[in-house]
Amino acid sequence: MKMKIKRWQAVAVWKWDLPDEDDVCGICRNVFDGCCPDCKSPGDDCPLIWGQCSHVFHMHCLLKWLEQESSRGQCPMDRRPFVAASA
Amino acid sequence: MLNIMSLKKKKAEEGAQAGGSGGKKKASSSQLRLQKDMDKLPSTLKLTFPDANDLHNFRLTIRPDEGFYKGGTFEFTFTVGTGYPHDAPKVKCSQKIYHPNIDLEGNVCLNILREDWKPVLNIHSVLVGLQYLFLEPNADDPLNKEAAEALRQNRKNFESNVYRSMRGGNVGSTTYDNVLGK
Repeated sequence: MKMKIKRWQAVAVWKWDLPDEDDVCGICRNVFDGCCPDCKSPGDDCPLIWGQCSHVFHMHCLLKWLEQESSRGQCPMDRRPFVAASA
Repeated sequence: MLNIMSLKKKKAEEGAQAGGSGGKKKASSSQLRLQKDMDKLPSTLKLTFPDANDLHNFRLTIRPDEGFYKGGTFEFTFTVGTGYPHDAPKVKCSQKIYHPNIDLEGNVCLNILREDWKPVLNIHSVLVGLQYLFLEPNADDPLNKEAAEALRQNRKNFESNVYRSMRGGNVGSTTYDNVLGK
């Protein structure tokens, strides 16, 4: 039997590289593989941010927090100054 | 396929209608987060929602089962802004009570409601924090200075002041609310 492929569609899945894929963002409590409450779709539009302290958040959630004066620039988990880890 | 498309269209129409009449509003991020926060509570804490559709305003009843304030029923109102969880919820005691960390207007001095709030905390953390204030009133951070002074000087004396205040009695020149009923 000879087959000829006329058309094909590639399907791919992706997920963030996290130790626990069911983990949630500490700020919005949505899963990391989902997006922050202000976004519609996960992925590059709603990226994650890793701190040098090893804590991870949706970038939008964390930036919203850091914009506030009361945050004093600290990581919401450990209250150390939040410094983004260089990828 | 056709079916799905027509469903989608119907939904969009409904959405447009709701948006126009202001009926079903889209859940805000603070609302979504609040829904995730309301998990199981210990029997000493109870939440009531005057408006079931409004998760942002509710009341808390604390019935401490040990400590100075055992036997009392203490009521608080919670107002959660749309900035939650980036902003702390606003909490007030709706009774006039004798407590070192709660003033006569009902303002509460609890670190996580003020300078130590952070968005990874939740309503549960605040509830537990409030409950802790009734188990271990803190004389070092007072809003009611007389009560704090009494606690620091003589715990027995403070205890009898609390006992009197909870029955609607006077401590000093102030008459407190009876919190034993119900």
